[in-house]
Amino acid sequence: MKNKKRRINTVSRPAEAVMHLILAAFCLACILPFVFVVIISFSSQDSIREMGFSFTPKSWALDAYTYVVKLGQKLWISYFNSFFITIVGTLCTLLVTGLYAYALYRKDFKFRRFFTFFCFFTMIFGGGLAPTYVICKQFLGLSDSYAAVIIPMLLNPFNIIVMRTFFQSSIPGDLIDAAAIDGSGEYHTLFRIVVPIAKPGIATVGLLSALAYWNEWFIPMLYIRDSKYYPLQYLLQEMQSKVDFLSRNSSVIGAEAAVRASLPSDTLRMALVVLIVIPIAFAYPFFQRYIISGLTIGSVKG
Amino acid sequence: MKKKVLSGILVATMVLSLAACGSEPAGGDSAGSGGASGSTASDGAASGGTSGASGGGDASNLEPVTLKMYFGGCDSVTDDSQTMAAVNAYLQEKINVTLEPIWGSWSSNEYNKFARDGYWVRLDNEGNNLIEKYASDLWSTLPEVLRQGAAIEGADGYGVYAVPGYKDIATQNCWDVNVPLLEKYGYTVEDIRNTDYYGFGEILETVKKGEGDDFYPLLVEGAVLERMVTNSIIVTGDSGTGNFMSYYLDPNDVSKPGSLGVRIENKYATDEFARFAQQTREYFKSGYIDPACANTEQANDIRTQKQLSGQYLIGTQSYSLGYELQASEERKFEVAMVPCTDAYVDTTSSQGAMMAISTVSKNPERAMMFLNLLNTDPKLMTMLNYGVEDVHYNLKDGLVEFTEERGQYQPWTNGMGNVTILPPTVAQGADFWNGFKAYYGQAKEIPLLGYSYNSENMQTQMGNVANVVAEYMLPLCTGAVEPSEKLPEFLEKLDQAGINDVLSDANAQLDAFMKAKGE
Amino acid sequence: MKGKTKKTLLLLSMVLPGAIWFFLLRYIPMAGIVLAFKEYKVYTKNPGFWNNLLHSKWVGLKNFEFMFSTKDSWVYVRNTLLYNIFWIVLGLVLAVALAVILNEITQKRVAKVYQTFMFFPYFLSWVVASYFVLAFLDPTRGLLTHWQAAGGGEVINWYHEPKYWPVILTICNIWKTTGYSCVLYLAAITGIDGTQYEAAAIDGATKWQQIRYVTLPHLRTMIAILFIMNVGNIVKADFGLFYSVPMNSGSLFSTTGVIDTYVYRTMTATNNIGMSTAAGLLQQLVGFVCIMAANKIVTKIDEDSALF
Repeated sequence: MKNKKRRINTVSRPAEAVMHLILAAFCLACILPFVFVVIISFSSQDSIREMGFSFTPKSWALDAYTYVVKLGQKLWISYFNSFFITIVGTLCTLLVTGLYAYALYRKDFKFRRFFTFFCFFTMIFGGGLAPTYVICKQFLGLSDSYAAVIIPMLLNPFNIIVMRTFFQSSIPGDLIDAAAIDGSGEYHTLFRIVVPIAKPGIATVGLLSALAYWNEWFIPMLYIRDSKYYPLQYLLQEMQSKVDFLSRNSSVIGAEAAVRASLPSDTLRMALVVLIVIPIAFAYPFFQRYIISGLTIGSVKG
Repeated sequence: MKKKVLSGILVATMVLSLAACGSEPAGGDSAGSGGASGSTASDGAASGGTSGASGGGDASNLEPVTLKMYFGGCDSVTDDSQTMAAVNAYLQEKINVTLEPIWGSWSSNEYNKFARDGYWVRLDNEGNNLIEKYASDLWSTLPEVLRQGAAIEGADGYGVYAVPGYKDIATQNCWDVNVPLLEKYGYTVEDIRNTDYYGFGEILETVKKGEGDDFYPLLVEGAVLERMVTNSIIVTGDSGTGNFMSYYLDPNDVSKPGSLGVRIENKYATDEFARFAQQTREYFKSGYIDPACANTEQANDIRTQKQLSGQYLIGTQSYSLGYELQASEERKFEVAMVPCTDAYVDTTSSQGAMMAISTVSKNPERAMMFLNLLNTDPKLMTMLNYGVEDVHYNLKDGLVEFTEERGQYQPWTNGMGNVTILPPTVAQGADFWNGFKAYYGQAKEIPLLGYSYNSENMQTQMGNVANVVAEYMLPLCTGAVEPSEKLPEFLEKLDQAGINDVLSDANAQLDAFMKAKGE
Repeated sequence: MKGKTKKTLLLLSMVLPGAIWFFLLRYIPMAGIVLAFKEYKVYTKNPGFWNNLLHSKWVGLKNFEFMFSTKDSWVYVRNTLLYNIFWIVLGLVLAVALAVILNEITQKRVAKVYQTFMFFPYFLSWVVASYFVLAFLDPTRGLLTHWQAAGGGEVINWYHEPKYWPVILTICNIWKTTGYSCVLYLAAITGIDGTQYEAAAIDGATKWQQIRYVTLPHLRTMIAILFIMNVGNIVKADFGLFYSVPMNSGSLFSTTGVIDTYVYRTMTATNNIGMSTAAGLLQQLVGFVCIMAANKIVTKIDEDSALF
């Protein structure tokens, strides 16, 4: 059956070749800058000084990485923190988002319109940074803990609406009705029937929120003072702003600047990008499995 | 980038702690209640006052208090545990204070604006003169010019809202000369000294010819170059707008007003600027200026790189004492500094590092005692700046030599108070502070000293002007665009943005200021 | 009847955690919007954010003035709108097209690799991307500059020639966002019941017809939702793109200046939180109006696809 379907239902060979060409070209454009970043991170500072950023540097060096490794334990702790925050945060986000989105998906939910609007409204209007900070810090007491990073980022109205849309487009309403007639409770329906079908959607939202947690440095900057809770992004961000500042202002700060002038500022900037991107890039296929595997099967069973 | 500014605004808005360009102790959560600690604090004032010299204060009758202090420019503090243990042991013994530092980043917020907006406690209030009560020692060690510069119009009337840090208090712009390269072509530093910007042409041409197409002899920061050539100086109060307001000095005697009198001008509308822009454009077209200097985000990186690799002949530099030695060491060739004018003291440099007490502080008295100690007690100052002896530094014949550990603890020295009570470093040499005091002591005051523009009523215009200046200033000051075409366009847009309203407002304030100063 | 109440209660319990979060972290802080109409000062008698807010002076619409006071500000508004409108349409077409193509690739392994690569730009910040652009356009050391010089042509000083930047910015934007939104569409395509294609194929539908009558209708809801939400951001611009990529070069403002960079520069000059709140509020209001209009239009066309 499967073979037959594929035979009938594939595009012609030349057409597929063209498609490959388009995709390959686009992907090359996408990956090239990253390759460039990797190359710069291994270039020597002298080479950059002389010929600027280049795909073919004159000489190579590990300065940037040895500089980062000097952070020692701090670096590993922050890696752990980032993983912990990303994993726990993403799970919490998926749970709360999923529950909320499911209720919005249910057409027979009495307050559906109200809560849709309640969520949507915050996507457009916000009070800004200052009042939010005061609420989190003083009222909720968020500071120096993992919760202080996770809670402010917990929900994103965009994700809720996307998730609801996934539910709408992949789960037929009859299925829910049938489940209700069978006596399935709402929670049971959500976790046993809806979740398995909506896996691609959930994986997508999971991916988006995992990326958001992983990349965030601003919220930790607001709520974290104790370096034992620093996530990677924040640690590296801090390091970079320090190096940038020093390399720009070595003349102003005074006597100690001689040491600082040799800092690998350009290569370091790129090395930091590499260090941040690699782990999350490896996590990507994990989410992708749910998104692409759907493609091969093509069909979902109720 | 945007987030950074937002956070700046955020911090400014609510937080307890914001540095002018320096530091501010905010009495945080104190153990003792406000009233109780207030009364005991005044008991302890005597001991606090003498402790700097004698070290024999009795702190036991002071309530224990925790002070939070925000230190600006301290990104490079990564491990303060050893230092803070030592500092706090010392502080508890002296004034029963535990210091909780917040190692902040760089910000350039204005002392004047924050004082006006009510963020900071007035320190010389009649009825509760904190300086008189707890910090007379500190006050008497400061040079007159700093004490004057600190007195401003704030939320609580005219007075002192922060303790000025005793650091490099004068401004001097210099040509930064690559000596070996200059001499290679048969010139000497004297040749630079004897001419001016408009006379550089021949030297630049010779060196450009000799070094080839990829070599750009003139290494400039557009804004600084403009000030050096036209003898204009920054007027405090327009930071963030590219300093469009200018006051013109007499280059021969900085304590006198220049040819335009004691007035604030739109610098871009002067003849001097038109001439400067024209000359710069010619230099640019001749290939003397690297086009990268005209790109806002790139200019700094390029400048640092070229300085280090010696790929320039003449550069621009805002000077501080001893910089030529440091630069020579850093760049590994001889660097000379040729000043454009004498060193002068203006409002900005006299308010370079201010230490204020936040109005949310529950214990301003104790914060004042702490500031007094910090600025008068060499032991505390040294510990907080250089770390722990034998850990972060070693003393060699009374000179400080840093160890590897210092990399973990490098606060911004100039933002921490009276730097002259620190032991000199090996690089500075034993006599450094005498030379320092002499150099800055003879710096002349400009007529405008103490003036700061209050743009409160001109916010819309300031914002608009800032946008226009950002569009034209750097390309014009580095010669990247044609002045005959762009300068008129620029002036017209400035006009539309309301620059004249701002200038007449600023000059009205200036007149009032000069009148008050004359009395 | 009883069952219905129970169902409502159960669904309410699902919404509750999210609703509490929205209330605390989004609705209460909205009180801060009044800053747009105030001149924020510290209330020295008893400082604290809310006290300061309460005791600051009302200034009416003064904080809004700076956005309308010069001709330039209209240029910035125009740029913002034009870029956004163009990019919404272009981004939508490209992302959907790529998702459809990816779906038709028979070697799923290769498709996976493509998709992973497409996502990479999303990981790079605009600052990093700006260095990549610089490597090509640098006035003395850039690759393009070298080619031009080698070819004997006139060397363009890219960072001072505004006319090229609409194209450069468009390429950058497509590069960065397409892979990301493609994932959303791809996941939506994945949800399509495969038997629908089989049925269509058996009926003799060509590939084109299948895409047209099965895939696209199915993506309808996702397209509509993302469209509505993008329209809500029509007066907001991606700050990093417009600030970092042109290296904040003043000469380019006529084509790279947008509302957000304009407000940012104003803030660096005035540090006035009231003015930045005012600008934000105005953007939000316009966004709100646009989103409601877009939603209305979508409702007319297809009720199920509307946001609410």
